[in-house]
Amino acid sequence: MTWNSKYLVLTAALLRPGLALADVDAAGFEKNVKPVLKNTCSGCHNATVMSGGVNLVPYMEASTVAEDRPSWDKILEKIESGEMPPKGIPRPSQAQVTALAKFIHGEFDKADALVKPDPGRVTARRLNRNEYKNTIRDLLALDFRADKDFPTDDSGYGFDNIGDILTISPVLMEKYMNAAETIASRAMGADPLPKKPLEVTYDKNRALRRLDFSTVEASHRVDFDGEYIVRFGFPGERATDAKPVKMNFLMDGHAIGTLDVETKPSKLVYFNPFSDGEMRVYLPEGDHVFRAAFLNDEFVKSVDPKDAYNDKKNKFIGSITFVGPFPSKVEKASRQKILICNPASGQACVEKIVANLAHHAYRRPVAKQEVASLLKFVAMAKSSGQSTEQGIQLALEAMLVSPAFLFRIERDPNPLDAQRAHRLTDPELATRLSYFLWSSMPDDELLTLAEAGKLKDPATLDAQVKRMMTDKKAGAFADNFAGQWLEIRNLDSITPDPQKFKAWTPQLKDEMRTETNMFFEHVLSENRPISEFIDAKYTFLNEDLAKFYGIAGVKGPDFRRVELTTDQRGGVLSQGSVLAVASYPSRTSPTIRGKYVLNNILGTVVPPPPPDTPMFDESKIGPEFSIRKQMEEHRNNATCASCHSKMDVLGFGLENYDAIGKWRTMDGKFPIDVGGTMPNGKTFQTPAEMRTILLAGMPQVSRCLIEKIMTFALGRGMQTYDNRSIDRINKTLAADGYRFQTLIFEVVHSLPFQSRRGETPVTKQVPTPPTKPKEIAAK
Amino acid sequence: MIVPKALPRRTFLRGLGTAAIGLPFLDAMAPALRASSVPGKAPVRMAFFYVPNGQIMDSWNPSYEGKFQELPRTLKALEPYKDDMLQIGNLTHNTGRALLDGAGDHGRCCGSYLTGIQVKKSLVEIKNGTSFDQIVANEIGKQTRFASLELGMEDARQAGDCDSGYSCAYTNNLAWRSEMQPMPPILDPRALFERLFGKGQPMTPEERLRQAKYRRSILDFVTEDTRKLESNLGPTDRRKMDEYLSSIREVERQIERAEKDNKNIDPHMDKPYGVPADFAEHFRMMSNMIAIAFQADQTRIVTFLMTREGSSRAYREIGISDGHHPCTHHRNQEDLMEKVRKINEYHVQQFAGFVEKMKSTKEGDSTLLDNSMLVYGAGLSDPNAHLHEDLPTIILGKGGNSFKTGRRLLARRETPMCNLFLTMMDRMGVPTDHFGDSTGRLAGLDMEGLDLG
Repeated sequence: MTWNSKYLVLTAALLRPGLALADVDAAGFEKNVKPVLKNTCSGCHNATVMSGGVNLVPYMEASTVAEDRPSWDKILEKIESGEMPPKGIPRPSQAQVTALAKFIHGEFDKADALVKPDPGRVTARRLNRNEYKNTIRDLLALDFRADKDFPTDDSGYGFDNIGDILTISPVLMEKYMNAAETIASRAMGADPLPKKPLEVTYDKNRALRRLDFSTVEASHRVDFDGEYIVRFGFPGERATDAKPVKMNFLMDGHAIGTLDVETKPSKLVYFNPFSDGEMRVYLPEGDHVFRAAFLNDEFVKSVDPKDAYNDKKNKFIGSITFVGPFPSKVEKASRQKILICNPASGQACVEKIVANLAHHAYRRPVAKQEVASLLKFVAMAKSSGQSTEQGIQLALEAMLVSPAFLFRIERDPNPLDAQRAHRLTDPELATRLSYFLWSSMPDDELLTLAEAGKLKDPATLDAQVKRMMTDKKAGAFADNFAGQWLEIRNLDSITPDPQKFKAWTPQLKDEMRTETNMFFEHVLSENRPISEFIDAKYTFLNEDLAKFYGIAGVKGPDFRRVELTTDQRGGVLSQGSVLAVASYPSRTSPTIRGKYVLNNILGTVVPPPPPDTPMFDESKIGPEFSIRKQMEEHRNNATCASCHSKMDVLGFGLENYDAIGKWRTMDGKFPIDVGGTMPNGKTFQTPAEMRTILLAGMPQVSRCLIEKIMTFALGRGMQTYDNRSIDRINKTLAADGYRFQTLIFEVVHSLPFQSRRGETPVTKQVPTPPTKPKEIAAK
Repeated sequence: MIVPKALPRRTFLRGLGTAAIGLPFLDAMAPALRASSVPGKAPVRMAFFYVPNGQIMDSWNPSYEGKFQELPRTLKALEPYKDDMLQIGNLTHNTGRALLDGAGDHGRCCGSYLTGIQVKKSLVEIKNGTSFDQIVANEIGKQTRFASLELGMEDARQAGDCDSGYSCAYTNNLAWRSEMQPMPPILDPRALFERLFGKGQPMTPEERLRQAKYRRSILDFVTEDTRKLESNLGPTDRRKMDEYLSSIREVERQIERAEKDNKNIDPHMDKPYGVPADFAEHFRMMSNMIAIAFQADQTRIVTFLMTREGSSRAYREIGISDGHHPCTHHRNQEDLMEKVRKINEYHVQQFAGFVEKMKSTKEGDSTLLDNSMLVYGAGLSDPNAHLHEDLPTIILGKGGNSFKTGRRLLARRETPMCNLFLTMMDRMGVPTDHFGDSTGRLAGLDMEGLDLG
């Protein structure tokens, strides 16, 4: 049988030698399975017709149930979902289907019981960009934008924290080296500030972006950590009775100050009305995006848009000026973190400082020799005529490029024995936990418990997990897990057509991201059922986004929980972020959206089109026909239909949302037709009804989420031997009303999360630096 | 009689001690500055500019062979440089074809473009081959500060699958250091600037030497640490550590080179702020720095990914709001083809600006362009049908004054692209007899009127 060629390879790879195959109950097979295959399936799926490239005749042998489980999974899925047989072929009775499914599942369970539990193994994971950034923040109280400095990490299985995929190139190594120097120097406050403060102004002539009449933005590089005076120029004046406005100043999306701005005429004599205001703020080195915005700016809405920048009719934000740096009066937080005693007091303190740093940077207890070899750097700096502090800085540099810092390495007592599993050490477990939920290093509380061996106690472990899920650092879980699971990280790379989608602004994009992040964090921290990802009666909005959704009564720029009174929206599939990333720049694509739902919500892998499939012609969707009519015509091609019928029905179910997620009932001159019939025969007429149908498939939906979370938590793809753990988690989850925290607890307690094993030595080629082909070498 | 003496370059530079050397000054010293294997001859540089999603071929290929007459529409911007240009037809990358691997022509054609290897179709198990630029870099790279530079313009895609089951590593990268190790491109002009010219405050040569010493001790320290660690690791983890060590060795090599070549280069440009929103400006900054790096002999090998293969960038700056990739599936619809032609032209126009910079930079008696091979090409020809034959390929520059340019040459049909690579390896001083699926050298580039094959 060929579902596709990858499938066969996969099957072979999964049959690890040494695994016992269960004896399949042949009589039961003859009774429950074979008749259906023979009478219903084999008419098309035989060696001659090979419908869809599938021949099921060999599968009339009972032994195949044990030998080729992935294919049987697939067969079972098609029959159970009602997708097969297709329309027009007589269906087996419901009793027959139930009996077949029960038999195969029973055989699978029998086989699973025989298999020795296998935790699998995770390849040493390099910190990815986000993890590096967060780790530096927690280690040294320093903001280092690794996400901007380092090359993009490659992803596998949908995530960028997969051990096997995270490679290290010379360019990256060079960046690590440079970053270590920069970070150590900044952390110690070693770089002298320039003698005179510098001044940089952004205005309409220089890179000040006007996002709307009340909001401006500038990308500014801060070259030194330090205090800066930020000055704002406000040209113009408003009517004499205009109220003062509050201005918010944000750096990278976080508010760092506010200012009250008087807007009525000043009565002073200016040629051009003008006023200014300033604030003093601490800014960390790096590339940042700064935004200044008048909040609740009602007045500007009454101004004729063509007068928005007329200084007789309106007052607006005209410029941002950065003056600085000025030395900060407070001791740098990073120095406080490093200098836990006064290094001038003697060698004992220097040793203490270096040992403490290494302990945290390596996330485990450090040996005496390790500290000793780091102390050599202090000596080296001193012998080059530098100070003790500069020596500590050099030792810190060394730690930051050490494999113990850059990699999360877990030790195997028996690295070459694949049969024997062992529990992780407590510090290893603590590190897994903190990178899972925080994308960062363990904090002192967790590390201390781990080093005291306390994490073996399930109650202590649970208390830590609970604490971590509700900590604000768990925002990283939303950014990194949800950002990739729901693909909303791609929000920054999509480019909706500004002609067609005038509502699309950088601000709206950020607001959509905020909505989804807050929603995800809420489901986690409040321990809501994961079904709320599919459908919920609430979401998180501010005025701007609420207006975009057509929801009244939300005032102001702050996000808050909003109860939904209609069923237009509910759950992630109705959130702008998701709808926008699953669209083309100029229109929706039911195929992309359908594939999105299958991949990310239902966990159904959509195979790539088989070779020689004619291109699915979406581009002909033009003025004469609706998108739906066009696509239905193309589905007449049977090869296309097998997958597209599954994808498109889900995608059409979301057609009420345009390419940036706005609700609509018409697409151009064609009315939207959402209705569809799922492969199992259930029908729906609205997006809300489709969500209800998706919810009914809960064990499948929750299984998909479990697999994604396991992949992210472990940093490896799921294997057949993980089914046992996944099934167990899914059962516990179902019994507990699918609460999200329960899922996290269960993952943390699962065998693969807590254990690992060695591996059978394989003769794989070790990557070597490029060498000349033999011909030259011989020359 | 006074004979101009060609000083060995390194000696000359070391003698200057702390002085910062501006580039015009460098050029004034021309005869002494040749770091080539042949004394007195300028080194040959090579660059690949890769454009994604093929070309509309009716506007790429002229209707004639031989000496250039009127250039086809897409290449119009290169009119002033047509005497420095070769257009080669009928080069094929067979390894870009499906060969039983099904869909995914974009992932495949970019992955195999410089490697000539059929890449492994997988999202997680990356497997390609060493690209030929890296083989050259490994041989001659020791002579320059950077063995090679990998550059690009479009941010790597962060989530999801890149093309029908092919890892994004294949479309995010052109150069491959080993079969599993792509070389990610630098996208940010500022990052490139700092790599070439150093960060912020310039260091004195003494400070630089101290930095080199420190760096070297740190690398010794981590190398030793890793060795100790490795002995207890399983094979997979050990492979990760080997990869780490191999990268460390490369950084060590750079430190050595920097120590030998302890000087400042004045780039004659302001430090860029970051990634400009404007595509043309972004390209201008990046390509200017390539020219400077070539001129100061900081590297001789550059690969440049204009945008990712399969890119769906919308070129609003020229009035196209649909994504590039969707437009290329034009099914011979004139309006879509016209959009793609405009994008193709736009890319060539940017490239022409770089060619101008190379041509206007004098190097001894010739120009930088004369001593270079700037290949501009795509991994697909007709993007609608995903064709892998007659790949759009032009070379600007004479490769060290040896190519007979100003012509369109037609190779025999299905001539492997790797044959061109073999010829280029000759010019770079790294001759070899076989690469990828090559069947022999692409002869005739330096002879007029000969049939290629």
